[in-house]
Amino acid sequence: MEVIQEKTQNGSAASEVDVHRREFLKKLGSGVFASLLMPILFKDNFAALADEALAQVDLPELPEPSPEEDPLVRMMRDLQRALKKPLEQRKWTMVIDLRKCVGCHACTVSCIAENKLPPGVMYRPVIEEEVGEYPNVHRRFIPRPCMQCENPPCTPVCPVNATYKRPDGVVVIDYNRCIGCRYCLTACPYNARTFDWGEYYTEDVGFLGLQPYEQVDTMEYGLDWKRPEGRSPVGNARKCHFCLHRIEKGLLPMCVVSCIGRATFFGDANDPDSLVSELIAQPNVMRLKEELGTRPKVYYLM
Amino acid sequence: MKKEQKKIEFNPDRRKFLKSVAFLGGAAALSQTGCALVRTGLGPRGQYSEYHLNEPDHQIHSVCLQCHTGCPIRVKIQDGVAVKIDGNPYSPQTMVVHLPYNTPLKVGSKVDGGICPKGQAGIQSLYDPYRVVKVLKRAGKRGENKWQVISFDQAINEIVNGGKLFAHVPGEENRVVPGLKDLYKLRDPKLAKQMAGDAKAVAQGKMSVAAFKQKYARNLDVLIDPDHPDFGPINNQFIFVAGRIEHGRKEFAKRWMKGGFGSINWWEHTTICEQSHHIAFARVTDQYNKGKWSGGKDHMKPDLRHSKFIIFFGTGFAEANFGPPVMSALATDNLIHRGLKFAVVDPRLSKTAGKAWKWLPVKPGGDGALAYGMIRWMLENRAYDERYLRNANKAAAHQDNETTWTNATWLVKIEPDGPGALLRASEIGLGGKDQFVAVHNGRPAAVEPNGKTPVEGDLFYEGTIHGIRVKTAFKLLYDYAMSRSLAEWAEASGIPVQDIIEVAREFASHGKQSVAELYRGPVQHTNGYYNGQAIITLNLLVGNADWKGGLMVGGGHWHEDGSKPGQPFPVTKGLHPGKLTAFGHKLTREKSYYEQSTLFREKGYPAKRPWFPHTGNVYQEIIPSVADGYPYPVKVMFLHKGTPAFAAPGAHKAIETLVDVEKLPLFFACDIVIGETSMYADYLFPDLAIWERWGTPHQTPIAATRGSKVRQPAVESKVEKVTVFGEEMHVCMETIMLAIAEKLGLPGYGENGFGPGMPFKRMEDFYLKMVANIAAGDKPGDAVPDANAEELDIFRKARAHLSKAVFDEAKWRRAVVDASGTDWWKKVVYVLNRGGRYEDYQKYQESGDKVPHKFGKMFNLYVESVALTHHSYTGKRFSGLAVVEPPKAYDGSVVDDTDFPLRLITHKDILGGQSRTLPTDYWLSTIKSENTIWINPRTARELGLKKNDVVRLISATNPDGLWDLKNGQKIPMEGKIYLTEGIRPGTVTVSWHFGHWAYGANDVLVDGQHVEGDPRRRKGLCPNAAMRLDPALKNVCLQDLIGGSASFYDTRVRLVKVGHAEPVSIEV
Repeated sequence: MEVIQEKTQNGSAASEVDVHRREFLKKLGSGVFASLLMPILFKDNFAALADEALAQVDLPELPEPSPEEDPLVRMMRDLQRALKKPLEQRKWTMVIDLRKCVGCHACTVSCIAENKLPPGVMYRPVIEEEVGEYPNVHRRFIPRPCMQCENPPCTPVCPVNATYKRPDGVVVIDYNRCIGCRYCLTACPYNARTFDWGEYYTEDVGFLGLQPYEQVDTMEYGLDWKRPEGRSPVGNARKCHFCLHRIEKGLLPMCVVSCIGRATFFGDANDPDSLVSELIAQPNVMRLKEELGTRPKVYYLM
Repeated sequence: MKKEQKKIEFNPDRRKFLKSVAFLGGAAALSQTGCALVRTGLGPRGQYSEYHLNEPDHQIHSVCLQCHTGCPIRVKIQDGVAVKIDGNPYSPQTMVVHLPYNTPLKVGSKVDGGICPKGQAGIQSLYDPYRVVKVLKRAGKRGENKWQVISFDQAINEIVNGGKLFAHVPGEENRVVPGLKDLYKLRDPKLAKQMAGDAKAVAQGKMSVAAFKQKYARNLDVLIDPDHPDFGPINNQFIFVAGRIEHGRKEFAKRWMKGGFGSINWWEHTTICEQSHHIAFARVTDQYNKGKWSGGKDHMKPDLRHSKFIIFFGTGFAEANFGPPVMSALATDNLIHRGLKFAVVDPRLSKTAGKAWKWLPVKPGGDGALAYGMIRWMLENRAYDERYLRNANKAAAHQDNETTWTNATWLVKIEPDGPGALLRASEIGLGGKDQFVAVHNGRPAAVEPNGKTPVEGDLFYEGTIHGIRVKTAFKLLYDYAMSRSLAEWAEASGIPVQDIIEVAREFASHGKQSVAELYRGPVQHTNGYYNGQAIITLNLLVGNADWKGGLMVGGGHWHEDGSKPGQPFPVTKGLHPGKLTAFGHKLTREKSYYEQSTLFREKGYPAKRPWFPHTGNVYQEIIPSVADGYPYPVKVMFLHKGTPAFAAPGAHKAIETLVDVEKLPLFFACDIVIGETSMYADYLFPDLAIWERWGTPHQTPIAATRGSKVRQPAVESKVEKVTVFGEEMHVCMETIMLAIAEKLGLPGYGENGFGPGMPFKRMEDFYLKMVANIAAGDKPGDAVPDANAEELDIFRKARAHLSKAVFDEAKWRRAVVDASGTDWWKKVVYVLNRGGRYEDYQKYQESGDKVPHKFGKMFNLYVESVALTHHSYTGKRFSGLAVVEPPKAYDGSVVDDTDFPLRLITHKDILGGQSRTLPTDYWLSTIKSENTIWINPRTARELGLKKNDVVRLISATNPDGLWDLKNGQKIPMEGKIYLTEGIRPGTVTVSWHFGHWAYGANDVLVDGQHVEGDPRRRKGLCPNAAMRLDPALKNVCLQDLIGGSASFYDTRVRLVKVGHAEPVSIEV
C-alpha cells in the first residue's frame, strides 16, 4: 500500500510516464538511437511507433539451414518470419511437451537470471507430481508460465490500466503505471503473477553483502530498470512476458533456450509453417483450465 | 523470504548497496570489478535499453563446473558483471545438433544452447557473498572458526619455512611446525630418477634393501625410511588432496607436485564419486601389450541418439550422470521421434525412472544379481549375438563387419582355488607366450588378438589340454549365471522374475541398439566393481560397441598436453627442465601390489590397511592413512577444492585427524569459501571460481563427435591480487603453486621455466600453451584457422572489463610462441572465441552404421589381471568374472547389521551438486530449500512414522546420529521424512547438497569481527556420518577393494523420531 501512496502523493504515476514518453519520442526523432530500436512495448506509444521501430530491427543472421538442425535454430527461423510481419499479425504461442519435460527447473532458474528476478518473484515454476502406487509410479512435471490468455482475467481488474494484452497477444505490465495493488495476482487463475517486494538474495549476507548481479539493470520490455533505486519494478506486479525484449531481437524466450529436454517450443501460431503450428495441431494437445474460457496461448502436449 | 515483516523501501539512501565487511574486501570488491553500476541521476524510470547480451563482444565462452559434466557455457557480461550463463552452441554438449565450428561469431552469438539449473545458477556461486577474498590464518584451534587476515607473502613464507607458527594459540606455544623446505629433500633430478628405479626393484624383490642402502649410503637422508626405500623420499610427506579438480588444473598441479616438488602424493576425489565404474570399464577394455594388460577405456556411454532400448543402472539422463543437458535433449528427442524405450534400475524413482517404460526398484547393491538374472535368461534363450562372441580376434571381427570382439572363446585355466590365468599358446606348444588359445571345432588354435589370421572359437568348450584343465571365458559365465535359478537371482536383486524376463527380452530384441548404461548407483558398494562388470557384460552379449545406438567411447578430444605429433608445447612431458621423478608407494597404496612391497616381505598377510593395485584416487583412504601413519607419516597437507571431512562416507572420522596437530602438523587449503573441511586448515587461501579461471576439461563420452573444451576467465575476481615472479595475479591454486615454486626454487618455473627464453611466471604461460596444442590438433595439418581481424577485435572487446592481472594481450601472446618461433596466437584466439574446439556434427552424419569414433578393440569378458590379484587381507585371489557378493568388510567378513531395519542410500537432485551449489545458490534453494528422508508410506506405517515427522539417522557405527565437529559443536543428522511411493519399501534415501555446518552456514570470527552464517545455508542433513565404518579398520567406511569406491549404499540405519515439523512446501 505504500506503493500506492508514494506514487499518488507525488501525482507522479501519470506524469512520469509522460516524461518517459516525451524522452522516447525525442530519441526516436533524433535518429541517434535509430539503430538501437526495437518495437515499443507500451500501449500508448505502441500504435504510433511500432511500424517505424520495427523497420529498424536488425534480425540476426542465422546459421545456414541444414536438414538436421537443433529445434532451437529452426524456431529462430520461425521467429524471423513472424518479425517481418506487422505486430498484430503475429500470435506468439508456446507449446510444452510434457513427455519431454524432465523436471529440471532450468527454465525457472534461467528466467530468474534473465529477468533478474528477486526473492518471491518467479515467472515460470515447474510443478512436480508423483502419480500411482509403488511400484507402479511415475512422475509428471508441469512448467507453468503465464498463459498469455486470449481472454485474460487479470487485465480488467487493473484499476489503472497498467496491464493489458498487446496486439501480438502478449499480456504485459506497464511498470510505470502499476500501483502495486495486486488485484491482478488474485484474478489470475493460474497464479502466474507475483509481486516484487523489493528484496534481494544477498543483501546483508556474508562477508561481501549485496552482489553485483542483483544491482545491474533489468531489461524487461526493452527498457532499463534500476531496481536498487527502489523504483519499478520494485512494488509492481510481475509476470512472464515471453521475454519480449529477446523476441524482438530475433531471440527465443529464455525458457525455450535453456530447456534441456527440448520440451518447450515457441513461435507464431499464425504462421502455418512454424513449428508451434505443427505441434498445436496434434491430437494430444491440451490447455490448462480450458473450462474458464481464458483461451491460453500456452499449449501442452500430453 | 520474510515478506510479511519487511516494508517496501523506496528511499535509495537507505539501501545498503555496499554492505560488506571491509576486512574481507567487500567494499573494495565492487570498484575492483570495474563494473559501472550507475546509481546516481534518477532519470525517468525504464530508460530505453539496448540488449547486448547476444552480441559477441558481450560474451566469453568457457566451461561450467557446477557439476563434472562441465558443459561448455557462454557467459554474458553486462557492465563487467556476469549476468547470464547459457550453453555454448558450438559444443555438442548443449545442443541436439551443434553449430558448425566455422560459424562466424556474429552468427553463433545469437544462438544459445541449453544448460541445467545448476549451470544457470553459476552466477550465484561466482557472486557468493561468503567468498573468501583474502588469505586467512587460524587465530584459534583448528576448526574453531577464528581467523586473522594475513598477507599472501606472509602465508607463503610461513608454509615454506615453518617454525613456531601458532604460538598465539593456547597449547601450541612451543609447537614447531615443519615447513615445505624441510620436506623438499630430494632435489637432484638425476638421483631421483636413479633411486626411483632401484626403489621399485627393491619393492619387487629384485634388489635387496641392504644393496640399496649401500648404493645410496650418502643419500639415505632423503628417504622417509631407509629400511623401506619403496616409501620414497621425504618429499612424499607433503600431500596434495584435490576434490573437484579437472584437466588443465590437474596437469598444472601434477607438474608442480610431482615434477616440481617430487612428491608422489597427488589425489582427486574419484572413489567417492563412481570410480569402480571407471575401473570396471578399464579392466574390461584393457589390451594385452608386451605381457601386460593396460590402456583400457574407463568410460563408455550409449549413443543416445539412436539407441532403441536402454537400461539405466543406478543412473539416468535427467539428474547427475554425465550429464543432464545433452543426455536429456538426446533422450527426449529419441523418445518422441525415434521410439526409444528405457528402463531404470534404482531403489528410488528418479526423474528418469519417473518417465521410464519400467522402473525396477532393485535392492541396493542387487544390480549385479539383476544383471545375472538377465544374463541367465539371455543364455538360456540363446538371445545373445553368438556370431559376435565367437570372434576371437580382430581379424575375425572385421570379417563380420564388427569393429570389436571379446575374449569369450579364450581358454581360462582352472586352478584349485578357481579360474586363474588365461591359457597361453606357449603352454600347449601352439605358439608364443603372448598368444592365447581358443578352440575351434574341437581343435585348439593360437589367438593373436590383433593378428592377421582370423580366429573363431567355440563358446562352450571345456576340457583338459596338455594336462591343463580349461574352460572358455564364456562357459565360465554360463556356469556362474546358471549357478542360481532365475527365482534366486530375482530374490537377490529384489526384482520379480517376470520383470527380469521382460527387461531381458526387450534388451536382447534390440540387439546392437540396446545398451546397459551405468554410473554411480551400482558401484558405490563393496561389490561395486563386480556389479559394474556384470552390467558391462550385458553389452558384450549383444555386441553393441561402436554401432550407432550402441555403446561408444565418445568423440574424445584433441590432446591439450602436447603429446601428439605437430603439437607445439609438450607441457607435461618435454617442457620441464630439471623435472624430478616422484617415486614410492602412494600413501593410499594405490596402483601398488602389496606383494611388491618391503612391508609384505616383512609382515605378509594381512596388510594393516588395504592395498589397491587396480585403482587410483582412493580419496576416503587418505586421511585415515594419515591417522594411522601407514605406510608412512605425513607432515603437510595441501587441500584444494575438496571436502573429505564432509563428502566421504564416514567423513566424521576424518575430523578427528584434522584437529590432531601431531598427526597432521601443517594443513593449508585453497577454497572459494570457508568450507566444511577447509575450516580446519591452518591457512586458508582464496581460490578463483570457475568463471574466473582456466581449465581444459574433457568432454563426456555421450558426445559422439570430438571436442576439446577450454575454460577461461570471463570476469575479474574480487579475490586480492598479489605479485609472484614479478607478475600481478589473483590468489588461487595456481598462484600459491607459483609462489611456493619461486620461494623454493622448484624446477620448471620462473624465467626459463619451460626452457630457455620460455618463462613460466603466470598461469597463462601454461594454459595458453595447452590451448595452442588444441589449436594445432593431433597431427600436422590438423590446425584450426586463424582468427581474422574482426574476430581478433571481438576477442579484445569482450575482455575490456578485465585487468592486466587477468588479460594482458602482449603476455598472452608471448606465451604461445613456440621454440621454433612460430606464433600460434591467431589460432589460439580462434579457439578461445569458441570456448574450445569442436568437430562438426557432419562427422556423425557421415559415419554410416557405426559411430565416428570407435573403440575398435577387444573386450575382456574374463579379466585376467583381476583374477590374478590377491586381496591384501585374506591373500585370496579376486575373480576374473563378475560375482555377486554381500557387503563385506576389509577382513572379508560379511557386514549385516540386521538390528537396523532400513537400508540407507543417497541420491543427487538435478538442482544440486554433492557438496556445492545447493543450498548456497539461492535461486536453486528457492525451488528446493532443504532435503528430506524419503520413505515409502508402508515402511513409515510399520515404523509408526507420519508425514513431516522429524527423525534422526542412527547406524551401527554412529549410534548417536551426530557429526562431532571436535570444536564443541555436534550436528545431529536429522531431517523430515517425506512419504513417497517412489522408493523401495525398507529403503530410505537422502539427497546430497544439504546439511552444511560451514560454507557460509556458520558464524565465524575474522580479525575479531563476527560474521553471521546464513540460516538458508544450514538446512537439511548430510547422511555421511551415518555410513557404516569398516569393522576391521574402524576409521574408514566400507570400500570396494578392486575398484576403490567408497561404499555409500551398504549401510543399515534406524530412524529415531525426534519431533514433528510444519509441512514441507514441495519435494523435488
